[in-house]
Amino acid sequence: MRLSIQGVTKEFETRDGKILALDETSLEIKSGEFVCFVGPSGCGKTTLLNLVAGLETPTRGTILANENAVTGPGHDRVVIFQEAALFPWLNVIQNVEFGLMKRMESKKRHEIARAFLNLVHLTRFEKSYIHELSGGMKSRVALARALALNPSVLLMDEPFAALDAQTRGILHEELQDIFLKTKQTVLFVTHNAREAVRLADRVLVFTARPGKIKAEIRIEKSRPRDLIDPDWPIAYIKKIEVLLREEIEKVLKEEVDREWSLKKTDLLRPAGIDLGSGI
Amino acid sequence: MIWEAVFRLKVWPPYLFPSPWDVSQALAYGFQDKTFLFGTGTSVWRIVVGYSISLVFGISLGMLVGRFKILDETIGSFMGVLQTLPSICWLPLAILWFGLSEWAIQFVVVMGAFLSIAIATDGGIKNIPPLYIRAARSMGIHGIDLYWRVILPAALPSIITGMKLGWSFAWRSLMAGELLFVSAGLGHLLQMGRELNDMAQVVAVMIMILAVGVTVDNSFFGPIQRRLQIRWGTAQASR
Repeated sequence: MRLSIQGVTKEFETRDGKILALDETSLEIKSGEFVCFVGPSGCGKTTLLNLVAGLETPTRGTILANENAVTGPGHDRVVIFQEAALFPWLNVIQNVEFGLMKRMESKKRHEIARAFLNLVHLTRFEKSYIHELSGGMKSRVALARALALNPSVLLMDEPFAALDAQTRGILHEELQDIFLKTKQTVLFVTHNAREAVRLADRVLVFTARPGKIKAEIRIEKSRPRDLIDPDWPIAYIKKIEVLLREEIEKVLKEEVDREWSLKKTDLLRPAGIDLGSGI
Repeated sequence: MIWEAVFRLKVWPPYLFPSPWDVSQALAYGFQDKTFLFGTGTSVWRIVVGYSISLVFGISLGMLVGRFKILDETIGSFMGVLQTLPSICWLPLAILWFGLSEWAIQFVVVMGAFLSIAIATDGGIKNIPPLYIRAARSMGIHGIDLYWRVILPAALPSIITGMKLGWSFAWRSLMAGELLFVSAGLGHLLQMGRELNDMAQVVAVMIMILAVGVTVDNSFFGPIQRRLQIRWGTAQASR
């Protein structure tokens, strides 16, 4: 699915007044492209993802999915959340079947669900309950549940952020294999530059709030990529981390200024610098 | 054993403190002449009707209040206030409205049970992690489906807790109501025991009331809660 984001602005009402999360952002994404959004926390990258998903509506601007304006959520644009968001009242296979309910008879549904569980190597656990799974397994179930809907766009909101580096590495490989098979359009939010470089065709770096696209980096590396080889991504990662650091320093400086104006004394308190852990 | 021992010690005269033997005699006798069967049957029938009405009203009110802000701000706070009123206090009003009828006692039962069910349902819905709803919506689930397949199952543990609470409130309200008026039922047998100064019967009926309560708890709510705990992984005790 081709996505066209045209002059999209998103403001949120909060108790302290309006917050501009995303400012006049325009972006074209080709069908079958893997795009990563990176940026400091609160830079509007997740907001943009939610806007494409139709879970939020833009304050100004439009989003087109294959020429049709996005007006609400739909099973052609499925989100995978960081916390997996699996339903504890259903077992694994029922979770995967969840989105297919009403769209086909139960036998067909079961077949599809099994096929996708097989794809993520979890056939053995189809009867397990969610709390019995490890973090990596949960991520896999969430992936299978989204893929079962056969969406045109996969929207992944830091899906592997809570996992340990080893599991994350394995999931990167599996995601790449799946991406090579299905050729779906993928939007992937992360604040981990390494993850972005390994997975994406194109990495978009966002500015700190209000969020805007600061830079665009094309990753010229053919697939299947060697996701273990530490050498090839280094130049890209450096470039992205320099850009990210500029933004993070901007945020820190703002925070320090604000604290000065509030006459706070604990200025030397360490602020949360998060460049994402290594893979 | 302790009971028998205390009885033998003659701390209280037998007409105030019956022996286990007397009580079991009373139980056997009650079953023989079918008064206990009839009484239990009547009470159980009443509770089935009253509790069912409470469930329907309680769950639907709870869902509405949990869903619509305007109802929450109006009825929602009122529910908590009303809940503090012991349900038997509705009896005088019920008698004036419905007369000395079956309806009056049903009214008391419903008033005792349905508010706690509604409050629990409302609370359960409000505590659903928004993430579940976002995930379902992102998969294109909306409207009634969202209610039926996400909101209700996600709130089910709270709803079951509310149902259990509602059940004990309903059973207490019914007994209170039966003690005060309306013929038949276990509460009435209890009252009769008092009037005839038959302590053995009083204790025997108390055992019957307890038995009904415990049976429902163990055979209905117990298994449901255990199943939910296994699914949700909240069964800490079993590990």
